[in-house]
Amino acid sequence: MKIIKIALPVVVLLAGTMAMAASSERYLHIRVSNPGQNELVRVNVPLSFAEKVIPAIDHGQLRDGKLHVGKLSADSVNLKMIFEALKTAPEGEFVTVQENDSDVRVAKEHGELIVHVVDKGGKDKENVDVTIPWDVALALASEQDGDQFNVEAAIKALENVGDVTLVAVTSREETVRIWIDSSSSADSPAAIAKPAAFSK
Amino acid sequence: MFILAKVGIGIMGTVVAGGAMLCSEGFMQVKVHEKQADGTNFSIVVPAALVPMTLHFVPNRKLADASAKLRPYMPVIDAAIPALEDCPDGVLVEVTDPGEHVLIAKRGGSVVVDVNDGDDVVHVAVPLRAAHSAIREIAAANNKDSF
Repeated sequence: MKIIKIALPVVVLLAGTMAMAASSERYLHIRVSNPGQNELVRVNVPLSFAEKVIPAIDHGQLRDGKLHVGKLSADSVNLKMIFEALKTAPEGEFVTVQENDSDVRVAKEHGELIVHVVDKGGKDKENVDVTIPWDVALALASEQDGDQFNVEAAIKALENVGDVTLVAVTSREETVRIWIDSSSSADSPAAIAKPAAFSK
Repeated sequence: MFILAKVGIGIMGTVVAGGAMLCSEGFMQVKVHEKQADGTNFSIVVPAALVPMTLHFVPNRKLADASAKLRPYMPVIDAAIPALEDCPDGVLVEVTDPGEHVLIAKRGGSVVVDVNDGDDVVHVAVPLRAAHSAIREIAAANNKDSF
């Protein structure tokens, strides 16, 4: 009886730790579907896997976990400082462009950078929503050298953000979703709040 | 009689230890089913540890080309396979279209590839640790002396 009393809390603690460890894995999901053609592609990448593999890649523009993007920063432009300034700026719309064939909206909402594009021109109309949590944006721009994005740091930051749809592309033929959650086999990001719609 | 028993136990011990060593890295499985009437059906299950062991005896010149092609990717492979081993089981990639279904998943220390198309059903399961050993063996081929 005494053994059970001692062992039970240990077993419960171990089981709890294991359950927490099992559920703490975060996944990047990509889902491309074309209902007209009955085509579906699903990719589930554990973020811990991406975090270990990306620093090892030395190919093209991606080296040491950093993506070199050419001359992104001019002499007097510091991307990191711009992101820092945007982080402390009040929430609201930064850019709104409305044209005959497209609408573009860039805003800060609920601690996230939101980019919304509506392509009204052409026969294949598209809606593109991009949502980047600020911590991820800052991690991405954390390199002193403004010509590179720190992908490794961004992935680490993604592990700490909540469930979020990062990219949603909807056209007549295809839908593309890229999102983060803790499910290893999620079918769709149904439970995740959709990016803010175009306000006008 | 007593000596015979000792020898028997020794042989049995060796067989059991050898078997355990061979099975230590799991089993590689390849299953192919051709859907046409006279199609081939076969299933092979091989101890995965045999693959790197066998590669060790392949002449280097036979592996030189593969080795040269593999070597630039070794840092990524060395990072990816142990990282994948640490990941929980689950579907990594799934492609579905009207004529084909492809599934790549991680299950119990193995990468499993299932393909089901109009002609064939193919199932391949490769233990990650053995795959890593085999790839390292091939990549190292250029560094070893030729047989």
